Amino acid sequence: MSQQQEEQVCDPKGSRHIGTHIFLILFTIVTLFPVLWVIKMAFRDNQTFATDLNPLPTEFSLQNFIDIFNAPYFGQQLFNSFVISLSTTIVGVFLACTAAYAFSRFRFPGRQAGLNAFLVTQMFPGTMMMIPLYLVLDTLGLLDQTLGLIFVYSTTSIPFCVFMLKGYFDTIPKDLEESALMDGASQFTIFWRIIMPLSRPAIAVTALFSFMTAWNEYVLAATFMSKESAYTLPVRLQSYVGNYTTEWGHFAAGALLVSIPVMILFFALQKHLVGGLTAGAVKG
Amino acid sequence: MSEIQQTEQRSGLIAPCIAMVLALIAGGAALQGYADHRYASVAEYQATKLAQDITAQANPSQFAQESEKQGFLVRMIEDQKGQSKYSFLRKLKYQVDPERQGKALDPNDDRDKASADAFLAALGGAKVSDVTDSKGHLLAKRGMHRIDDLHVAAADAKVIAYQAPWFKLLGFAILGFVLWGLCVKFGPRKRWPPLLGFLLGGAAILTPVAMELFGLDGRILGDWASKVPTSGELIPVAAALLPIVGFGVYGMIRRGVASPNRLAFTYITPAMLGMALLILVPFAIGVGLAFMHHDHGHYTFVGLRNFIDIISSDGTSITDPLNFYFTLGVTILWTLTNVFLHVAIGLALALILKNPTLRFKGVYRVLLIVPWAVPSYITALVWKGMFNKQYGLINNILETLGIEPIAWFGQFWTSFSANLTTNTWLGFPFMMVVALGALQSIPTDLYEAAEVDGANQWQQFKKITLPLLMPALLPSVILGSIWTFNMFNIIYLVSGGQPNGATDILIVEAYRYAFEQNRYGYAAAYSMLIFFILWGYSKVTERVSKAAESVYG
Repeated sequence: MSQQQEEQVCDPKGSRHIGTHIFLILFTIVTLFPVLWVIKMAFRDNQTFATDLNPLPTEFSLQNFIDIFNAPYFGQQLFNSFVISLSTTIVGVFLACTAAYAFSRFRFPGRQAGLNAFLVTQMFPGTMMMIPLYLVLDTLGLLDQTLGLIFVYSTTSIPFCVFMLKGYFDTIPKDLEESALMDGASQFTIFWRIIMPLSRPAIAVTALFSFMTAWNEYVLAATFMSKESAYTLPVRLQSYVGNYTTEWGHFAAGALLVSIPVMILFFALQKHLVGGLTAGAVKG
Repeated sequence: MSEIQQTEQRSGLIAPCIAMVLALIAGGAALQGYADHRYASVAEYQATKLAQDITAQANPSQFAQESEKQGFLVRMIEDQKGQSKYSFLRKLKYQVDPERQGKALDPNDDRDKASADAFLAALGGAKVSDVTDSKGHLLAKRGMHRIDDLHVAAADAKVIAYQAPWFKLLGFAILGFVLWGLCVKFGPRKRWPPLLGFLLGGAAILTPVAMELFGLDGRILGDWASKVPTSGELIPVAAALLPIVGFGVYGMIRRGVASPNRLAFTYITPAMLGMALLILVPFAIGVGLAFMHHDHGHYTFVGLRNFIDIISSDGTSITDPLNFYFTLGVTILWTLTNVFLHVAIGLALALILKNPTLRFKGVYRVLLIVPWAVPSYITALVWKGMFNKQYGLINNILETLGIEPIAWFGQFWTSFSANLTTNTWLGFPFMMVVALGALQSIPTDLYEAAEVDGANQWQQFKKITLPLLMPALLPSVILGSIWTFNMFNIIYLVSGGQPNGATDILIVEAYRYAFEQNRYGYAAAYSMLIFFILWGYSKVTERVSKAAESVYG
């Protein structure tokens, strides 16, 4: 569709846009307020909650960040978080891609049951899984191990990823594969050389979700990792927020450190976000 | 058994389910008696093993320091033979008086009382004030009436509880029955593979029963069951199970015949294996727990007692925050208000940002999805700070406006609003992005036609945008409502259920039962009810979304 057509459709009057902009700017400020707040507190050399109304940083001290980096095991914990999140993304996306491809392209007995089962797993209350999962990991000797969390995260993110990817695969025309099949390509070649490259946007979004799930997860990590050297960053961060006192400065600095990688990824991929999500949402 | 097989032939999926439920009930009941019997010796075994581990170390004191780093509190004591021993008391401040080592516990001695209290606390969080004279009895029952015994035996109680042998046996029983069901359904020859699966499942249940019946006191099996299996020991088990799984899969492929099926199974097998291990097995264990009562590491089979207790709300009135129906009402209110706000705000923003002539819309869109990118627990904690009565920002703004500061977490509605605000902030970007995508899929010629026919903006929205958006938005709305229904982080971290647990939703309540009161069975039953509610909801919405698709799609 051309730009002109849309202009006609939406019928913009210049004056109306000023009101829209004012509304959007106000709404954006309200939305960003808590985030600016965290940034402000991170750069203050103070552990109390900032109380004035100005959300912009008034001082610039790196003391909170220095404190955090000097805390025992911090390097190890940062490394844990990275390894766990990256591995989860790779394993989870690989498993989800293959499974979603099968669900999208093949009609096999148990297909509908499998899809339903995926949906049902979304309804499991986390509390129902925590004690049994602890037990399973314990039996496998995977408590306090990064490998244990990688397994748990990549499997728990599979159902959602499969749904998103399947929705996208459904939109890829089958003619491509059929003609490739005529040319003598194997099923695997079709999957690897045709489907995967075509689905890059959807895979990017799926990867982002896997990464975010692993990077941000707190409750399971806190339950399964009891050694301080095995903590992930969210667990570390939580320790700054006590029952009676909170080290707001350290917490805010940590929160910034945790959020930054996710933010970078998020904004790098946000163009694909709309396309990837709706393909899943429309056909899911 | 013949009954099950008959049902098998009638319908495919019901039979394995029945087999699983049967396995759970039968296995749970049979193993429970055995588990009670074995518990004490397992605890002893664990403690002794820990002590042995330490004495086996070349440098015991270094090992003790290492252990201390891992969260154990280590105190060195001397036993009668003069050898070094360590007690491993997890996160427990407790040290023995050296003078009293080796002497019998005296219920009237304050120091011994304190020791016993500490021991009981280590074993499962008993309230110290509850324990009076009975504690001496309890210790004596387990043959641990001497103080140095006490030390060794008080090793990490959590581990002991989790490694109760019946858990593993129950796992085998379930596995056996599932395999049996699979084999019956998909077995290639329908004779001996089903039999194998059945034997495996049956053996897991019958072994402890036989032990009990013949009074074998279970020592041999107990020693085996209380050990954490090494990977070397797991290989023969896996090797034994593989052919059965293989036959099941082979049967499936044979039934499915055509080669695309084999390919399809190749593609989904890796994902399915992971899901089976880390979702299906824990789910099955969770279901088993729902029929148990847990008390300090003891599990007793209680049938439907937990469910009855929850549904009858333990006799509390409906206005009591702990009442199941009260919490259910709060949860439904929470879900409805959240989803409504998410969709309303998300859709409104999407409609505004859709306008192609609007400048900077890319910038707005990027800035407005920021809340989505922030980890939810960080969001929750920051908002909790903002709603703080003394230093919180919200009260600060109210004060500048000349309004009295509010104790946000003091009343139900303000507390609920605080949670709602936080979750709305967190959730609208997702709906906005979904709505933006869905709007793009609406063909523009529809609007052109409407324009020609003289329809105004509102009519266009009502007659074109909304109906065409519905089927695209519905899956996201359903998924979003399920997520909100189970949104643990926000409630737990922002209001924490204040006042008096009134703002707790079902899942937070279940968590409290499990991890604050150690009522694992009750919590598992609670979780199952949550699951059933959501499942019922999804069945209803499935029809709605199918209907919507057939009308608009």
